[in-house]
This record gives sequence, C-alpha cells and structure tokens, in this order.
Amino acid sequence: MTGRHAAIAVAILAIAAAPWILATPYWRGILVLCAMNVLLALSLNLVMGYTGQLNLGQSAFFAIGAYVSTILIKSHGWNFWLAGLVAVLAAGVLGLALAAFAARLRGHYLAIASLGFAVITYQVLLNWEDVTQGVRGIYGILPPVPGTTGLFYLVAGIAAAVYLLLDNLVRSPVGDTLRAIREDEVSAASLGINRAAWKAFAFGLGAAIAGLAGIFYPGFVGTLVPDAFGIVESFTMMAMVIVGGMGTMIGPVIGAIVLTFLPEVLRGFGELRLLIYGLALTLVVLFMPGGIVQAWTALRARMRR
Amino acid sequence: MIRATGLNKSFGGVRAVHAVSIDVPENSIFALIGPNGAGKSTLLNLLSGIYQPESGTLEFAGHNLIGLPAHRRVRLGLARTFQKIRLFKQLTLLENVLAGFHIHQDAPFWEHVFRGNTGRFRNEARELLAFVGLEDRAEERAGALPYGKQRMLEIARALATRPRLFMLDEPAAGLNGAEVEFLLKRLEEIQQRGVTLIVVEHNMDLVMNVAQRVFVMDHGEPLFEGSPREVQANPSVIEAYLGGEFAP
Repeated sequence: MTGRHAAIAVAILAIAAAPWILATPYWRGILVLCAMNVLLALSLNLVMGYTGQLNLGQSAFFAIGAYVSTILIKSHGWNFWLAGLVAVLAAGVLGLALAAFAARLRGHYLAIASLGFAVITYQVLLNWEDVTQGVRGIYGILPPVPGTTGLFYLVAGIAAAVYLLLDNLVRSPVGDTLRAIREDEVSAASLGINRAAWKAFAFGLGAAIAGLAGIFYPGFVGTLVPDAFGIVESFTMMAMVIVGGMGTMIGPVIGAIVLTFLPEVLRGFGELRLLIYGLALTLVVLFMPGGIVQAWTALRARMRR
Repeated sequence: MIRATGLNKSFGGVRAVHAVSIDVPENSIFALIGPNGAGKSTLLNLLSGIYQPESGTLEFAGHNLIGLPAHRRVRLGLARTFQKIRLFKQLTLLENVLAGFHIHQDAPFWEHVFRGNTGRFRNEARELLAFVGLEDRAEERAGALPYGKQRMLEIARALATRPRLFMLDEPAAGLNGAEVEFLLKRLEEIQQRGVTLIVVEHNMDLVMNVAQRVFVMDHGEPLFEGSPREVQANPSVIEAYLGGEFAP
C-alpha cells in the first residue's frame, strides 16, 4: 500500500510542477492536450486492454462529449458542469447501446461496427448544420476555468481521479470478469459470465470517459469543427494504448504522454516529422509488442541478473 | 437430476447427436463413452448450453433448459470443463479461480470502484487450488503450467461456481498414471460433497472405477446404457469399439 501512496504523491507533484517546468503558453497548451489524451487512452484501454474488444470508434464518443456539452451551453444557455454531465451520460448511453446492438459480434465485426459508428457520427456532425454548424464550426467557446494552467490542473486532476477509480475497478472482481472475457469468451460463459452484458458495460464506461475528455476540448481550442474528430483520432488513441502497454494501468498513460510530446519534439524536422513519427510507431509494434511497460519490465529483469 | 429426451443436433447435415435421451440420477457419477466422433462432446455442449438442440427436451432439477444460454445455466448449478483446455492463459492460477466466483459476487458496484479488491473469495480460491494440488503455484501464469496441471486448474475454476452438476470432458486426456490416480480420488471426493458428475472419458480404467452408470454412444446415437460391468460384457459395445470381427 505504501508503494501506491508513494506513486500517488509523485503523480501529484508531477502534475503540480509540469506547468512551471514547461512554462510557455504554447507548452502549457500541449500539457492540456496531454491530460485529455491520458483520459482518452485510459478509456480505450478499458475496452481494448482489459476486455479484449477491438474498438475503432472511440473518436466518436470524444466528439459526442464535445458537441453535446457545447451545444447545450451555447444554444440553450446551460451551465458547463450540468451540460458536461449530460454529455458524458449521452456518450456512455450511446456506447452501451452500440455494444448491446453489436453483442453477437466478436473480434473484427465489433471493430467494424465501431468504425461504422465513428464514420456515421462524423457525417452527422458535418451535415446536421442546423445543430452542429457543420464545417463552419462553433466559435467563441469559453473554457470552464480561466487560463491554460487552470484548465490543465482541472483536466489532469480529473484524469488522475479516473485513473485511481479504474485502477480499483480492474483489481476488483469486476476486473477478473473483464479479463476472463478477454482471455476466452466461451470459458467465461461457462463460469456464468454474461459476456454480452459485460462487454456493453466496458464499452459504455469507456465511451463515457472519452466523452468526459470531450467536454474540455472545445473550451480549450475555443472553436469546434468536425475535423477534430476524424477516424484518424481513433487510431491515434489506439497507438497510445499499444505503445504504452495494453492491459496495464500505467502503460496507456505513458503512451499518451509520449505520443503527445513526440510530434512536438519532432517539429524541428519539418516535413520529415510525420515520417519519423510513423517509423517510431512501427518499430515499437514490431519490437516491443507489449509496449513500453513490457520493455521496461524486461530491461529491469535483465539488469537484476 | 438432469433429464433429456430425444435430443437432436446436426452440423451441415451431419447428425452429431440423434435421438439421445438420458436421465442422470442425483449424486451419481455418470460416464459418457464411445468411439471418436460418437457425439459425446456435442451432447455435453447441448447440456451446458454452448449449443441449442434442434429438437428434444432438456430439464435440470425442475428447470427447463431449452433456450437458456450457457451463462444462465451456471446460475442453476451447472459447471463444466473442456476437452481442449480453455484456461485464461495470461492470468495467474489464483485469478483463474477467482473469475469462477463471478456468480457469487454480490458487492454493490460502488464498492468495486471505491475500495478495489475486497478479497472476499481469496481464501476459498486458495482452498480450491489446494484441493487440486496447486496451492504452491497460485501466482504463476496459467499458461505456464504443464498440461496435466492445467486440467486440474480447470476443475478448480469450475468448482468455484459451486455446481450441483459438474460435467467433465475427457478430464484424464494427457494425464500420466499418477495424475489419473489423483484425478480419480478428487472426482470421488467431489461426489461425496453431493455433486452429480457427468464424465466424458476414453480412459476405461477410470470409467470402470468411478462410474455408477455408463452411457455408450456411437455415430451420434445411443448404443447402450448400464452399469460398468454390463457395458464391458455387451457385444454391441465391443463391436463399436473394436470392429465386427472381435465380437463374440
């Protein structure tokens, strides 16, 4: 237990110090993005890493969080937190419904259903102009707290709280149940596990957490356009989970931090930036299939010898 | 305990199980034997709910099982193991058994989120591991166990559901002599605790030693049913196993 407390203390210190180490407005903005990406990676890891369900549509739930909250605030004059709560619930319920609808699908089929859902969501954002303003976008969106540093503390604090609750959840009997489904669905059913219901649960909870990240995005950028929620965003989230280490709690956090900062560090390379980014991703998947966490564990074991 | 009449199941026109009726007495060990492809595993899959029959009736302790999915049957007291071992390979032995307590978890959801592992079934899970002789390896990965031990772990995991009817699909396959001996004792002990057992098995020594009733299948159809002694003396059983020319 002391190990856990020490880790929490280190995390609090790191969050507190980060905006003063990276003290320019630009880097503080990257920190906010990083905290959002941590939330997104955590949300996807619950579905992919712990429940073993390939989900290619997580960007849609991020979008639903962003659009539902913004529309409630801008068009209906709602308070941020009430609008945020409704947006998170909306994302969660849609995730639950999608997984329940796709309950009989496994592996690639659920992945394709989730991909289809993301494509449809994107098209709705683009074409339902009366509500979403389409490509014209929604402008002048204010963050829930003033200042980039304040927003970082808020989002990072929420990400840390979500991390702790999910960490409890995956170590509880619910975690045993989800991992059982990941390992072998037929076996899980033979132990009385209702796999369709638990997959829907994981999908819905993951969607709600992605929606939670989404409610902070519009206020941070100030504008909201559908292009921020393209399919490629789903793949970026997946890359964070895989690079960090799928099915571990800390892995996706590390993956989110690395893949948020890597493109920024590579900015000096100009056009070569995306090439290096892609190459680094490919190398990780090829040579460290368990991600950074597994590579680290293996390295430590080798040093002890 | 479990009663089936006229069960039928075919795959692409091949009749895997045809007109099978069984009535398993409570607290007995009921063996299901037959040559390869006789339909024994298919019958077990029908009983446990992995497959649904095309026709026939199926009742367990007064409950109609037809249409009931596998996971709901577990709550009535049915448990099983698999011919091709299906453990949670990346999880530890302890985690495998803990997952078996799923239907007995009754803590409210918030407790899982705010308190994490409550450890309610840990002692019981360790007792089950001890029962199958694996208490020393609780923290090892299930996939790293030798084959024979994997079979025993699957038994411990299924017992965690606290079954009234326990179905084992070839539990002795791949086991060495000492392991078969150990398995035999364990099966008898499970029976003594009031559990009814259905055992699909090729190992005749095991069948003849532990079973009270033996049900013989061939080509998806029932061939003979009786005590182990009657089965051993039955000409049609001998013919099915050894071919016509050996029959008396």
